[in-house]
Amino acid sequence: MLTSFDISTSALVAQRTRLNAISSNIANMSTTRNERGEAEPYTPRYVTFQTDTGITSSGGGAGVRVGSVDYSSEPPKMKYEPGHPDADAQGYVQYPNVDMTTEFVDALEASRSYEANVGIIEVSKNLVENTLRIIA
Amino acid sequence: MNPINSAQLSSPPPLLNPAMGPNQSSDTSFKDMLFDSIKQVNTMQLDADQAVEQMFTGGDVNPAEVLTAVQKADLAFRLTMQMRNKLMEVYQEVRDIRI
Repeated sequence: MLTSFDISTSALVAQRTRLNAISSNIANMSTTRNERGEAEPYTPRYVTFQTDTGITSSGGGAGVRVGSVDYSSEPPKMKYEPGHPDADAQGYVQYPNVDMTTEFVDALEASRSYEANVGIIEVSKNLVENTLRIIA
Repeated sequence: MNPINSAQLSSPPPLLNPAMGPNQSSDTSFKDMLFDSIKQVNTMQLDADQAVEQMFTGGDVNPAEVLTAVQKADLAFRLTMQMRNKLMEVYQEVRDIRI
């Protein structure tokens, strides 16, 4: 009876993780060095989801969980900035290939998906409360 | 699109069988069922308590999970309370029978 809560909650957790990755991408969109201070641009992270059959309902429903957090395979953006300390011999600086528009659209999608799942929890809650009215 | 495996879509459990007499019922008694469900509700409440404590003490828990645990515990407890109210009603009904 209460499995739908677990399924929706698994989606909330997954979407939150996705939003974390998007925040990381936006925050590091002009990062040109890695954590050791070497000249290596930040690689955007992408979260993939997979079906979680650990949370199942009798109707064949299943939850969702974060499958992996993968690095983008796109090559870094080259920007001509000869005076930059991280510029190479030709004067180009490698910048992370983060597209702000795409990231914002993804963030909005994650946020809307979160909202939708909260809505489903609300529906499930009302369902159980209505069931209580049979006996009360 | 693949159809969902029919084994997963197991048929719903049969509703209370009117033909089943009191002696033919499964080996779990009403008392056991009651105790089991109370234990389950208690476990849910303990889980919710633990989750809330972890959230307030800065543990690494997702607020959504905590709130779901609390909501589930609340619903389960209210269902149990309604069962208890119904049982008390039945008891009082029987007590008031004049012999």
